[in-house]
Amino acid sequence: MSVRIDGVVLPLAPFALEVTAELSARATAITGPSGAGKTSLLEVIAGLRKPTRGAVAIHERVVFDREQRIDVPARARRVGYVPQDDALFPHLSVRRNILYSGATMSIEDVVAVLEIEPLLERGVKHLSGGERKRVALARALLSRPEVLLLDEPLAGVDPDLRRRVLDYLVRVRDEFPIPIVYVTHDDEEAAHICDEALLLERGRVVRRVSL
Amino acid sequence: MRRLLLILWLALPLRAADIRVYAAASLTDALQEIATTYERQSGDRIRFNFGGSSVLARQIEHGAPADVFLSADEEKMNALERRGLILASTRVSVLSNTLVVVGDNIRNVHDLANARRIALAEPSSVPAGIYAREYLRKAGVWQRIAPKVVPTESVRAALAAVASGNVDAAIVYRTDALSSKRLRIAYEVPRAVGPRISYPFALVKGAKPRATRFLTYLRSPAARAVFARHGFLTL
Amino acid sequence: MTSEIIFLTLRTAAVATLVIVPPGLAVAWLLARRSWRGKSLVETLVALPLVMPPVATGLILLQLFGRRGPIGGWLHSLGIDVVFTTKAVILAMAVMSFPLLVRAARVAFEEVNPRLEQIARTLGASDTRVFVTITLPLAARGIVSGMLLAFARALGEFGATILVAGNIPGETSTLSLSIYNLVQLGRDDEAFQLLAVSVVIAFGAVWLAEMTLRKTAAKP
Repeated sequence: MSVRIDGVVLPLAPFALEVTAELSARATAITGPSGAGKTSLLEVIAGLRKPTRGAVAIHERVVFDREQRIDVPARARRVGYVPQDDALFPHLSVRRNILYSGATMSIEDVVAVLEIEPLLERGVKHLSGGERKRVALARALLSRPEVLLLDEPLAGVDPDLRRRVLDYLVRVRDEFPIPIVYVTHDDEEAAHICDEALLLERGRVVRRVSL
Repeated sequence: MRRLLLILWLALPLRAADIRVYAAASLTDALQEIATTYERQSGDRIRFNFGGSSVLARQIEHGAPADVFLSADEEKMNALERRGLILASTRVSVLSNTLVVVGDNIRNVHDLANARRIALAEPSSVPAGIYAREYLRKAGVWQRIAPKVVPTESVRAALAAVASGNVDAAIVYRTDALSSKRLRIAYEVPRAVGPRISYPFALVKGAKPRATRFLTYLRSPAARAVFARHGFLTL
Repeated sequence: MTSEIIFLTLRTAAVATLVIVPPGLAVAWLLARRSWRGKSLVETLVALPLVMPPVATGLILLQLFGRRGPIGGWLHSLGIDVVFTTKAVILAMAVMSFPLLVRAARVAFEEVNPRLEQIARTLGASDTRVFVTITLPLAARGIVSGMLLAFARALGEFGATILVAGNIPGETSTLSLSIYNLVQLGRDDEAFQLLAVSVVIAFGAVWLAEMTLRKTAAKP
């Protein structure tokens, strides 16, 4: 069981996120229309938003529990969060971006799988959309996360490139033993990557399907 | 290293010193001449702060770093002495001055009362202004002149105001008028009619030891000669 | 004499600018990134020296730092006198320039995408590390330009300085105070020399500030 969300409540306008779910598949999709609270759920797991109720555990390690006043800060939660806008550090080179977490493990595996070797010394300002996604993925992977949180990884990627980025995502899923929580509003995309999908509507899980 | 610096610092006053002299603006020219000679003889450096005596006294009151205070009236020195801010035993008055009126087409106090704008050192606080007001009161024209007064921070600023033509007349010390080549003295206030002007000198509390020598030097025949040449009366 | 005045002015303005950088950045960051009780009060207080008559600010400082004032009295008992010394010049400059630095730094901090700071945290960085490696470098241009503006403001400080520091040659007579003094004494030629010097220095500082900001704006 990779991520357990237990009775989490987070007020959003105009509704509240109210989720209880176990994300135990190798890759779980969170789907649903925009504004359903998908990104907020990722932020709750990452520790960037504080629920008003409930608990969150990652691999049986409780990282948040309102009742017991447990709130592990984001920096100690060991999540690899790739937000929709990549959030690459604009003043650092690709190499310094992916080494930001101070990874001691060798970067070669990750660099090879994502084929970013030729980009390493470049500034991030001159990367294409697909390159940016791969660098953001590499940066998240190199922080040795216990769970990978991907928020709409294909949003903003050129239609011609979607296929290629999707292939990279499959490779990440298969090469690294890290469970993935994958936010998307595209069912086809979810089916391609994930084993299971939760459909979120107005802050609640309305359906759970195996893919 | 720190100890060495400390020793050097302690040793400094025994050698050449920076002596800070706060002096009435009217003493500017004479003192600068005296200081040039003194600096050459003693190796000390004299740093002046010239201004209206009232401004200087207020600065000393608030702890501005001064070694010597040369005031243009006894009242300012009295105030500092009452507060224990000067070394009373060093206090001495050796100079006097007279008031003059400068300005075109003025021959007597009645012409002065008819002038449009008259520059005076601030007549309620700066000595030259207080002296001038005292004179004008005695002459019975203060009521007429008061509304036309342009007050200045020091007597030198009053002199500059008339020299630039921005006011018609000013009452300044005779020594100030003599220092300006452009200005002619309209008339001199006779010593019998005018206020008694005297310049008290004293060391400020906490003055550097070397400052004593400078204060003594100001009473030497050489210094007196310079003061006299600039038009001061030496007592 | 002129070079002494220029040096004193540059030195005091530079020290004043450096002195306000740590508290200025702290206040700017708190205003940009945190909400707390009394925030609007602090915002108003910080802006006050910009809108109050400088002489009024000077009077407040004189009351606080004078020998009989609450802060000055305490410092005096420690053997430190502030009023009518070079320290008072720096104090007046610092207080008058503080709002300019805070405003510029606050805008610079606000322009840093908070997403970047959040992601840095998920990558294991402490708050200090996030500030030093992400926030500060990305806000650097705006901060430097704010420092230059603060420096230029300090160079021209007059109203607060003359009250709290007086106009003592070699001690507190900065360019502005010397110009005032020289004009009062009718020594216009010397005043014009100093005027030229201050125009050149102020022009240089503002020009540099504009240049640093323009480079930021040109960034994609």
